[in-house]
Amino acid sequence: MSFSAPGLLLASLLYLMLLFGIAWVTERGIIPRHWVRHPLVYTLSLGVYAGIWAVYAAVGLAAESGYGFLAYYLGISGAFLLAPVLLNPIMRIGRAYQLTSLADLFAYRYRSQWAGTLVTLCSGLAILSLLSMQIQAVSTSASILAPDTSPHLISIMFSLIVVLFAMLFGARRNQEMENHPGLVVAIAFDSLVKLVALLVIGGVVLFTVFGGMGGLETWLAGNTTPATSMSMSIDDGSWRALMLMSFAGALVLPHMYHMTFSENPSQKALAKASWGLPFYLLLLGIPVPLILWGGQELAVTTGPNFYTLGIAQALENPALTLFMYIAGLSAASGLMIVSTLALAGMVLNHVVLPLKTPKDQGDIYRWLQWVKRMLIAAIIFLALLFHETLGKNLDLSILGAISLAGTLQLLPGALGVIYWPEGNRRGLIAGLLTGLAIWLITLVLPFSHTANLLGWLNAPIVPDYGNWHIFTFVSLTANIIVFTLTSILSSSSNDETSAAQACSMGALSRPQRRELLASSSDDFERQLAEPLGRDVAKREITRALGQLKLPNVEYRPYQLRRLRDQIEINLSGLLGPSVARDMVKRHLGFKPMTRGSSAQDIRYVERALGDYQSQLTGLAGELDTLRRHYRQTLQNLPIPACSVGEDGEILMWNQAIAELTGITADEVVGARLMTLPDHWHHLLDDFNRGEDLHRYKHRLDLRGRPHWLNLHKAALSGPDHPDGGSVILVEDQTETRLLEDELMHSERLASVGRLAAGVAHEIGNPVTGISSLAQNLKLETDNPDILETASQIQQQTRRISAILQSLMNFARTGNHSRTNRYEPVSIRRCVEEASNLLSLSDKGMGIRYINDCPDTLQVLGDEQRLVQVFVNLLANARDASPDRGSIQVTGKQDGYSAIIEIIDQGSGIPEDQLDHVFEPFYTTKASNKGTGLGLSLVYSIIEEHYGNIQVESPASAQTGLGTCVRLKLPAYEPETDSVTTRPNERY
Amino acid sequence: MYIYRLVFLLVLAIYIFSPNILDWWTTPGNAWYSPFVIWAALIAVGFWLEWRRDPNEF
Repeated sequence: MSFSAPGLLLASLLYLMLLFGIAWVTERGIIPRHWVRHPLVYTLSLGVYAGIWAVYAAVGLAAESGYGFLAYYLGISGAFLLAPVLLNPIMRIGRAYQLTSLADLFAYRYRSQWAGTLVTLCSGLAILSLLSMQIQAVSTSASILAPDTSPHLISIMFSLIVVLFAMLFGARRNQEMENHPGLVVAIAFDSLVKLVALLVIGGVVLFTVFGGMGGLETWLAGNTTPATSMSMSIDDGSWRALMLMSFAGALVLPHMYHMTFSENPSQKALAKASWGLPFYLLLLGIPVPLILWGGQELAVTTGPNFYTLGIAQALENPALTLFMYIAGLSAASGLMIVSTLALAGMVLNHVVLPLKTPKDQGDIYRWLQWVKRMLIAAIIFLALLFHETLGKNLDLSILGAISLAGTLQLLPGALGVIYWPEGNRRGLIAGLLTGLAIWLITLVLPFSHTANLLGWLNAPIVPDYGNWHIFTFVSLTANIIVFTLTSILSSSSNDETSAAQACSMGALSRPQRRELLASSSDDFERQLAEPLGRDVAKREITRALGQLKLPNVEYRPYQLRRLRDQIEINLSGLLGPSVARDMVKRHLGFKPMTRGSSAQDIRYVERALGDYQSQLTGLAGELDTLRRHYRQTLQNLPIPACSVGEDGEILMWNQAIAELTGITADEVVGARLMTLPDHWHHLLDDFNRGEDLHRYKHRLDLRGRPHWLNLHKAALSGPDHPDGGSVILVEDQTETRLLEDELMHSERLASVGRLAAGVAHEIGNPVTGISSLAQNLKLETDNPDILETASQIQQQTRRISAILQSLMNFARTGNHSRTNRYEPVSIRRCVEEASNLLSLSDKGMGIRYINDCPDTLQVLGDEQRLVQVFVNLLANARDASPDRGSIQVTGKQDGYSAIIEIIDQGSGIPEDQLDHVFEPFYTTKASNKGTGLGLSLVYSIIEEHYGNIQVESPASAQTGLGTCVRLKLPAYEPETDSVTTRPNERY
Repeated sequence: MYIYRLVFLLVLAIYIFSPNILDWWTTPGNAWYSPFVIWAALIAVGFWLEWRRDPNEF
């Protein structure tokens, strides 16, 4: 049974058109996004690994080494089952720094453009034979089905379609979407076709050829030769080599790296794929023995590699045959598309861009896209050339082995990225060159019939199909030894050490805090415009600012350093890490360091630790808890505190200082002291720069009120902490200062009081003398003028005596010994007496005194002094009251207190005077009418009685008139039976 | 890093002894599909480990 060449071509075209359709529909967003990003689609897309091996070569290998074919699947299954320790770290680094290929990863980690270029060349050489293997499988399968077809034509047509597909769906660079969803879904579909085809042919063999499991068992029992029962012993060497290469494939094959890391939709998807891909490969592997036995039973003539097609042909089933052909085509096309794309990206970033950075001011994105498209075409053309000249003469399995052995050379460097921070670029490049040289001499040249150096030298072992694995191990071992020894013997640059730290398992990068040349994001834009053009620079800066959620213009040094990192990451995704790093280093540079070393970026480390919190366990977790404890202690410290780096950058700003200054930590941490508002900037910056460690009572006017601040400073450096900088405490002494002022005022008043009392005492005697002399004068004359004068002298001396008495009373405060003489006093009686005394005066004759105090209201005190209180209060009320006004005195008992209110109907006391009415010598009356001591005396007496006094004005809210003076004194309760009851017997 | 060294040793041991393990899987007395059954069991263990894993774990 055979097909016509045009028919076969048409079928191929139709299938590839279907693939185009799927990719196009996905790109247009017709397929729901959550389907596209589903872990199943991702896992299926990883099936690209199997390539043509799954459909054709696995059966060939099974025929040679029985279950040995499983090595190709088991190795990568192992790598995926170890994803948490092997793939996740790489994905973390790749995502953080936008590293889209293994070459990017190497160039980033080993800080060397050469490392990236070497990885690209190594992958390129190895991939050529892998691509040749795919082209060969497709053209051979086509010639089996249509013997009259030209294999060249098929190869060329197939390659052209692959180029077209890769250009359309893989070379697109969308700034919004980092993945290529169309490509992923198309490749997943390819994998599904492959799987279904193999399961179908396996099922057909089992049930049609052998008649079910029973028939198969019987057949196996009857065919016990090693070739048929797959029980031939497995060659340990080639098994191990294949297993190792397959294991390494997960990391080092460009198409696997691309699908696993660059097209990964989420961490979860990789976790699912860690068992999903092994399961998919298991399903691919199960039909292989069945196909082999089916081919043997049917005596298929195609050779074991193409039994899949041969069986379908032997069963005379054209649909099945075409399906198997399409499965092979899909497997080959998928692998070719992805590996070409991945390789084109690597060549662009590590060969083209280092040689020619686009300096024209045009659209850089478009330029990159077109260069990548041209590279895709060039790679496929080279693969075709390789196939036509060399590849087509080689066996499928040896083509695969050469390719995998080449990429295997990248394994030591890849593992070094995660697990060996001591490895350096010199070691990597030396090891790679050694391994690649041995690979070229012992595998590539002999098998491509170009040069067999070992044969010419009559070496004991000459490469052939049976011992290729030995040379694989030799090249890898030499690579590892040279890598290790050179790395140990040579030194790494600081840059490389910090990159190694950033990449190694669970480590945090510890960047240094250095000062940028640029002082704002606008400066960044100007500096980047030089290499990228104004538009691209503006777009990249805006994008990075958006990603970091920063304002449109940023000034804070810490945020500018973050912005610089983000720009490098974004440019790395665009131009590859080496070019991006060079560009950022050259154009967004740091100021030269003034000292030998610079401080660590504490804030950066703290932020990174915050992100890691849930991942820290054991000792690290405990240390993190301690860190948080001390940090919180500082944050919640009730004293305003901040710490400042050597360069004046604010590192810490606690809550108390945020409250004092009204500036939050988010606004200033990472900024310079000079960015603070002027008054704070002058104060803190001067103090920070100055020699003094303390500054006391510095006055600062905040929000219209004076504040007094004490500042203290201590250096941060110590024996365990070499970094400079200082911690500054700001004590707000305003309250204390106000209290001190008040105290001084009181002191002054008290001394005036003492002075007054002394003066009063001294003046009292002569005044008494004058009064006596005036009295005598009255007795010695009848002259009415002189008598009048003597009376006036007496009147004035009485007045002097009254003032002196008031002064003496005022000075006599705080004499608590008098409390011994306290006895129950009726408030009503006191008020009565006071109003009677006032009624005798000729002033305020029309005023009515209403005494509403109950008879029962009593306090413990000195009756005379309490009468004095009421005389003063009622006299004040009388003076303020209008003619014929009334003054009401009410009293009530409120719990243990007696509340007495004196309410008048006067004009009230202005609000600004209320605070001063109890101050001595404060009066609003005319100078001959009041001394300003009355209310002070009242205040002292009430205090002596353990009470307090309040003044409310106006007393009536409706009229806005009147003053209410409220006294509160401890009420006296006569001892009764109920009082003698013990407290616990009351209820 | 301690745990990673253990994992590394384990992987190396499995790798070195893998031909013997496969020989054991394909002992003539076993059914032809027994290697696949054992492989499936390993995948089941991988599935179980992934299922019970804390998403923040390394």
